[in-house]
Amino acid sequence: MKTITIETLLALAVLITLASVLGMLRMRDPYQRLHYIAAPASLSAVFITIAIFLQQGLKPECFKAVFTTLALIGMNTVVTHAAARAFRIAETKNWKPKKGETVPIQRGDERVGDGRKEAA
Amino acid sequence: MNVWEVAAEVMIFALLPLAWTAMRGDPRLRLVSFFMTGVVITLLMMLLTMAFNRMPMMDLAIALALMSFGGGIVFARFFERHL
Repeated sequence: MKTITIETLLALAVLITLASVLGMLRMRDPYQRLHYIAAPASLSAVFITIAIFLQQGLKPECFKAVFTTLALIGMNTVVTHAAARAFRIAETKNWKPKKGETVPIQRGDERVGDGRKEAA
Repeated sequence: MNVWEVAAEVMIFALLPLAWTAMRGDPRLRLVSFFMTGVVITLLMMLLTMAFNRMPMMDLAIALALMSFGGGIVFARFFERHL
């Protein structure tokens, strides 16, 4: 039972990572691509850590895996935000949205934050 | 060959498209691929540690996770100011 659980967790971790990489490649916008880093940094790392604990038990060395996972989760959020902010500043010189600014996602998509839509 | 080695060998294939996109195209897309590569290699380090049953090698994964954070912040600041 333990072996099956470990194999399932590892399979999930690998599948999530591969799916995230392939999904990231499908996106054309860097802001959209940044979202795909979250899944392997959080889910895959947690699954691998649980599998390590199942395999090794509560040994002190296994807590290094916990620390690695916490580092990945915590720091990925900071780096993702910093990168998105840097991209925005490189484009517009100021990362805060301008008054009445809309966010078109793709040509033909409904505009997010469109004042006329909100008024209607 | 144990299940950890199999998982590591499958996960290595995720690095091929990441290496390709990190070498060409828009600098913003390349930077995102670089971030993703750091995460994937950290996970690979964890898997290989278990595959070879050398628990001290987990220090490499910790070091890489911390270093990619610093590297990412530096790259983001550089991108913000100079590119």
